[in-house]
Amino acid sequence: MNGADATREIGWNISAIWLMYLLLIPTLVVAGYGLWSRIRLWRCGRPAVRFDHPVRRLGLLARHALLQVRTARQASAGGFHLMVFGGFIVLMIATTVVMLDFDLHTSIMKGRFYLVFQSLIVDLFGGLVVVGIVMAAGRRWIARPRQLVYSKEASWLLALIFAIAVTGFLVEGWRIAATNDPWAAWSPIGKVVAALSAPVMAEAALRTAHAGGWWLHLLLVYILIAWAPFTKLIHIVTAPMNIFTANLDGYGRGLKAIDFESETPLGVASLEQFSWKDLLDLDACTECGRCTAVCPANTVGKNLSPRDIVLGLRSLMHGRADELLGTLGTTPGEKPRIPVIDPDTAVAPESLFECTTCAACLEACPVFIEQLPKILDTRRFLVMEEAEYPQTMADAITSLEQRGHPFPGTRFSRVDWSDGLEVPVLSEMEDPSEIDVLLWVGCANALLERNHAIVRSVATLLRDADVRFATLGREERCTGDPARRIGNEFLFEQMAAKNIQIFEKYGVRRILTCCPHCFHTFSNDYPALGGVFTVEHHTTFLADLVADGRLRPSPSSRRKITYHDPCYLGRYNGVFDAPRELVRSTTGGSPVEMAANRTNGFCCGGGGGMAFAEEPPGQRVNRERARQAVDTGADVVAVACPFCMTMLEDGATSVAGNHELVVRDVAELLRESVSATENTP
Amino acid sequence: MSNNVAICLFGSSGYDAVAQGVAGAGRRLAGQLGGAVNAVIVGAADEAMVSAVAAVADTVTLLDQPELADYQPELCLAALQQVCRQLDPAAVLLGSDSASLELTARLAARLGGSPMSDGTSLSVADGAIRVSRSAYGGKAEAVFELKKSPAVICLRARGFDPAPETGVTTSVDRVSVELPDEPPIRIVERHEEKREGIPLEDAQFVVGGGRGIGGVEPFDQLRQLAEVMTAAVGASRAACDEGWVPPSAQIGQTGKKIAPDLYLAIAISGAAQHVLGISDAKAVCAINNDPDAQIFRHSHFGIVEDYRKVVPLLIERLRVLTT
Amino acid sequence: MRILVCMKQILDPDVPARDFRVDCGRNEAERAGADLVPNIFCENALETALQLREAAGGSVTALSYGTDEAEDVVRKALAMTADEAALVTRPDGPAPDALTVARVLAAAARKLGEFDVVMVGRESGDWGVGQTGGLLAEELGLPMVALVDGAEPADGGLTLRRQTDYGFDVVTSHGPVVVTITNSEGNVPRIPKTRDVMKAHRKPLETWSMNDLGVTADEMVAEVVGLTVPEKHVVCDFVEGDSLDEKVDAFARRIADAMGTRG
Repeated sequence: MNGADATREIGWNISAIWLMYLLLIPTLVVAGYGLWSRIRLWRCGRPAVRFDHPVRRLGLLARHALLQVRTARQASAGGFHLMVFGGFIVLMIATTVVMLDFDLHTSIMKGRFYLVFQSLIVDLFGGLVVVGIVMAAGRRWIARPRQLVYSKEASWLLALIFAIAVTGFLVEGWRIAATNDPWAAWSPIGKVVAALSAPVMAEAALRTAHAGGWWLHLLLVYILIAWAPFTKLIHIVTAPMNIFTANLDGYGRGLKAIDFESETPLGVASLEQFSWKDLLDLDACTECGRCTAVCPANTVGKNLSPRDIVLGLRSLMHGRADELLGTLGTTPGEKPRIPVIDPDTAVAPESLFECTTCAACLEACPVFIEQLPKILDTRRFLVMEEAEYPQTMADAITSLEQRGHPFPGTRFSRVDWSDGLEVPVLSEMEDPSEIDVLLWVGCANALLERNHAIVRSVATLLRDADVRFATLGREERCTGDPARRIGNEFLFEQMAAKNIQIFEKYGVRRILTCCPHCFHTFSNDYPALGGVFTVEHHTTFLADLVADGRLRPSPSSRRKITYHDPCYLGRYNGVFDAPRELVRSTTGGSPVEMAANRTNGFCCGGGGGMAFAEEPPGQRVNRERARQAVDTGADVVAVACPFCMTMLEDGATSVAGNHELVVRDVAELLRESVSATENTP
Repeated sequence: MSNNVAICLFGSSGYDAVAQGVAGAGRRLAGQLGGAVNAVIVGAADEAMVSAVAAVADTVTLLDQPELADYQPELCLAALQQVCRQLDPAAVLLGSDSASLELTARLAARLGGSPMSDGTSLSVADGAIRVSRSAYGGKAEAVFELKKSPAVICLRARGFDPAPETGVTTSVDRVSVELPDEPPIRIVERHEEKREGIPLEDAQFVVGGGRGIGGVEPFDQLRQLAEVMTAAVGASRAACDEGWVPPSAQIGQTGKKIAPDLYLAIAISGAAQHVLGISDAKAVCAINNDPDAQIFRHSHFGIVEDYRKVVPLLIERLRVLTT
Repeated sequence: MRILVCMKQILDPDVPARDFRVDCGRNEAERAGADLVPNIFCENALETALQLREAAGGSVTALSYGTDEAEDVVRKALAMTADEAALVTRPDGPAPDALTVARVLAAAARKLGEFDVVMVGRESGDWGVGQTGGLLAEELGLPMVALVDGAEPADGGLTLRRQTDYGFDVVTSHGPVVVTITNSEGNVPRIPKTRDVMKAHRKPLETWSMNDLGVTADEMVAEVVGLTVPEKHVVCDFVEGDSLDEKVDAFARRIADAMGTRG
């Protein structure tokens, strides 16, 4: 037979096919209403600029909506999702082809195209849908991982899609059997169904079954279409929307600016005070649970669950939709109309203050939901409007206000670290502009004795490399970062303004920091307040010196070293390689990697003001990370942050059976190595 | 103004370590001034106390009207004011109990004199009385010269040697004073904690807990340890502010000042204000899991470990070692 | 009920010991870039006052006597929701003695009106002499209760909770009274809300000098004639051991030795 004539009769054995079109109307109306009922809720949120840079945004769509790069990170789930997704794309194309042929009479559904694409490829992809759903069902009903949300809706959706795919194959098979389709070989799965059915069903039975199955299949599809916007399947529409409107500025810059003169309240207390993008986030959630799975606080048993925060807010939004709509065009009152913070929900104050702001949730989310900014928005309300937050964090804030550092009770001053080193101080210099770089020490380095060795190493290395540097000495006061992360934006801006003044007084252009939090804040938060400088972290600066040959480490260390990525250096600012280069330069080999590394690094537990919090003994993030380090078998954990240093040293002492693990900053390792070179004849 | 020194004691306390210290300080100061010691006892005092005081003072005035039996600030003040006016001493000395602290400034003002608190030593220079005490939360030692007369001074009494007996038992003057009828302030209820174990200031050994203890229940462990050590239990201000122990357990600048033979600081950071309260301890040791903790700079020996791991083992070991 | 809270600004008591230096000429601590902070007991007093206002209604006035920088203390009091504030400034110089302070505060209090209760901290974190409250009471001709950690309104006056050496007393007062406040878990100073901090900066502030109040510093009760930093000679001997058991054992032996009970 001539392949060029290959085709099949569309609508064979189906009478009253006009009913299909008729039923389509209410289906689309319901679906449309469903979508609109969500869209009008998002519109109740505050403004946000999320349509700029359209080309970049389309790029995001390509990577994350089509290729689903993030979804693929969890291999099995990513795999079966792509199967179902890909299957449905292909099946939709196939349906479009049918429509083009049947309704628009384009007669494209024939010949090689019909055989290769419309029959074979479509069959295979349909099969992928079945396989994918079975895998998903196995994960949901048998493996039962903790991170999923076990709702009836999810199970019904799986069943529905499975039924759609299966009825599709049954209908195809029965048609093939009843018509003795000569091209059956090109529809392998349909052929199998036909082969199994033909022996037990007469032609009349096949026809009846086919027609019945066809209408059932149609009904199921229509139910799916109409129902989807009311379920998490709405992510089909909302996920691409969410990816398109994602935050392009990097994790640290996703925080909202506050106009203290006019904004009420400070932070978010009521649902409509979130931006429309925040509300869209809620409907984009697929309940995959990855954000909670990677959350360090949740991992160690705390209540904080980014997934449940999103889903809790989603319930609030749907459950109080009418009230939300009623807020349009109104001004904020004394009390929040739709209170977001509730001790009995996932958005409980206790949970909000368990967050280390590590941004692992942001990195993990396949649809770019912004969990962390919502946590920070509600923190801001609790801290600035209600003054209700953990006393230890409040003590750190009070110390920031009174002393310019968050470590009350320290017995060190700003300059003690440099005893004996004779480090130049800007206020004592004739010409303060005669420096290559300002060395910004950071509170955690200056006031915690253990970290003095880190800054001393950096200063000594700078001297060895003939870098002209100076510090602010006693004039240095906190960047304000802890205030910003805890939620006191007001204090942060006050402190930043003062620091910018001091920098301007001395004509500072280039800043070298020894702490990723300082680095992050100077680079990302200060520019909006008028402080624009060139900022580097000591890892990149030292790595450049080594690359230029101005520092000569000898790669002779035989120690097994693993490197812990600080969240504010790695995930937030993309610096992964320079510190590893530094380790390599001392050992000759790359550091051993922990399983959770680079953008998927596991927080040390010190960010977000948590370094100042008291954690219940069984729920310490730093111990978990220390355990992960010990598990690599390394002798040394290399770090690049004084908070990580403090947290991991503390964590390491409590890991059972660990006596040997030592924590060192990469600067300390480099210093030892450079000394070794110097001492080698 | 005479060269005498008045010492004010409360009858209800008996001739305890505080009274002995005040009397001893009084005798020394009177010697430097070339005057006598006038003891004033307020409130009903038992025979033992009266005779003990009579054995070390040059005069004894007893104010034992029924209204003065229990401490009432307005009445006590009026009484002391009248008696001291009559005695016209160069100095009035008291202990550092809460009643004395309350009265000192007002008594001084009414007598036209200078008040001072927490004196650890007294001296005379060019006829003026000088008081040494700690300052700046224990970081410094200050010497104050008191400008007006009489000097009315609360003392850290336990640090003074008791007064020697004069060899003469003086007669006791029972004096009646005019007391206000309806004082504007009255103590209407007195609540004393059930004093379990040894009072903090008298204890030979003391165990102290700090913020690192973490809660109310863990303090029970410290009490067990204290029992084995026949020690009293105290705490830093942080632990008291958390409500884990009553305020009376507070050791420090504002709290009890103790002078035990051994002080064991558990999970206490060692801020100066707390250290001030233990500066007279003969030996100090500490358990803290932070090797850089301030407390180790004031300790003779220490262990760097989590107290939760140490204390149970310590209790066992000490049980064996102290039997 | 009108409540007056007198608050003092002091050198940060948390200045690290190595930075603490004495100015031998002025017989006080060197400022040397250290920060000035509100005295903690004064903040406990303010907190007690605010809680009393919550129970009884009325107003809280914060008053401070200090250099220009003391404005920070009363502004913070306003941020903690005190209703009004006043400041008596003095030039930068040696600190006035307790009697001068008491006279200044009394004069300012009289200028500010009639008060039902005046609250002060029991002592300050710098000198810690703790006599100003009593002297102030005498200047104002009012009774005084010391070491109070809680105050509630009662018929014609207050019911006060006063800490004693081994417990507490309940004290009733009638008519105006001066109260010195000590710390407890019930009067930990509240954290100011940012909105209130912003408002506080815009509120009016009465500012006077000693002259405005007609007070002269002609009488002193005490003068600092010596101030030294004692030398520390203790070196901690850390017990050693390969295991926790060994270390604890060594520690226990040292304790037993120190107790003189080792057999």
